[in-house]
Amino acid sequence: MITITDLRKTFRRTEAVAGLNLEVPQGKVTAFLGPNGAGKSTTIKCLLNLHRPSSGSINVFGVDSRQLGPASFTEIGYVSENMKLPLWMTVDQFFNYCRPLYPNWDGDFEKKLLDQFDLPSKTKLKDLSRGMRMKAALLSSLAYRPKLVVLDEPFSGLDPLVRDEFIRGLLELTEEEGWTVFISSHDIEEVQRLADRIAIINRGQLALDETRESLQSRFRNVEVVLPEGSNLPADIPAEWLHAEMAGRTVRFADSQFESDAKLASSLGEHLPAAAAPQIHPMSLREIFVALARAYRLEGN
Amino acid sequence: MLPFSIHLSDGTPVSDQILLAVKRALLMGQLRPGDLFPSVRTLSQELTISPSTAHKVVAQLKDAGWLNSRPGIGMVVTEPDQPEIGDRLEQITPLGRELLREADRLNLTLDQVIEHLKSL
Repeated sequence: MITITDLRKTFRRTEAVAGLNLEVPQGKVTAFLGPNGAGKSTTIKCLLNLHRPSSGSINVFGVDSRQLGPASFTEIGYVSENMKLPLWMTVDQFFNYCRPLYPNWDGDFEKKLLDQFDLPSKTKLKDLSRGMRMKAALLSSLAYRPKLVVLDEPFSGLDPLVRDEFIRGLLELTEEEGWTVFISSHDIEEVQRLADRIAIINRGQLALDETRESLQSRFRNVEVVLPEGSNLPADIPAEWLHAEMAGRTVRFADSQFESDAKLASSLGEHLPAAAAPQIHPMSLREIFVALARAYRLEGN
Repeated sequence: MLPFSIHLSDGTPVSDQILLAVKRALLMGQLRPGDLFPSVRTLSQELTISPSTAHKVVAQLKDAGWLNSRPGIGMVVTEPDQPEIGDRLEQITPLGRELLREADRLNLTLDQVIEHLKSL
């Protein structure tokens, strides 16, 4: 659906995106995570032809992003936290303005979403709360049933109730064939259930790209007890992240877990005196924190 | 609203948790043969999960004989042919595993655990 190849974008001396390669598969929800300043918004703007890449390329439904024009934009929905909306318009006027821009605009679907979002049609956009305004923006990007929905930090500053309504509205499109969602966030909590795939960007480059299932199956939180007076050996495997010792308990995140038996043999080799192993699956959030510490995730 | 109860927790895959919750609802009569099962969209909206996860769950339930697709209606709950003791036991497998692990850490034998369970 989207192929990003060696994307670079430089603003004056700052390299916001520094050779990013990423494939966003069709029919899946891909979460694009990274700290503020890691290059998420710049990537998304390049993807939508709002910025011109300094080098490299992005291919969206077989079209180079630099060639994206009105016809392609009727297939793409885009909502960003910093979206500029015509604030002087009422909700009604705003949708009247958007409707003719999209030949595929679905009036019934618009009404359904309008009802679901409980938007006051006679109120000016500037007088709406942030959450209401984001819902209006989402509606204007969903009503033409786009094949690809790109959301740039859509949830920041939204209260949980509005966030829930927002996600429900987004998921109204699930029955579209091959429907693809690309959603950026600095906070995994917001997208942890929604995402099929997790891509992490760090300092303008891809740090991780994996399905959520594969991530959850290869990470385990491990705790073992060592005999009195033992120390944590220096040569523990590199895939044991953040090994720490408190009292006699050693705790680490195994990032290459395969099976209890395999871990037991690895423990036997590296911590032969370890007893009472406790092995727990980790939430996506815990995995993200472990990875963030391992990569020293930082913005530019 | 979903016709079965579920509290998604972190850690274990969402699809496994939903499968277990749906089977539980069926075994306990919260869902009965002939009942309409929620659509992929309803499942994904109510649980805020990805449509492909919801789709996977429905496909797995269908393969296991718990759901049947009725054209024009949607997915309908059916009763699988296989004996259900295995399914009922499956419900307590995660708890059982956890119990056995904890017992092992406490140096308890299986017999001691069984004796204790009987005395409860």
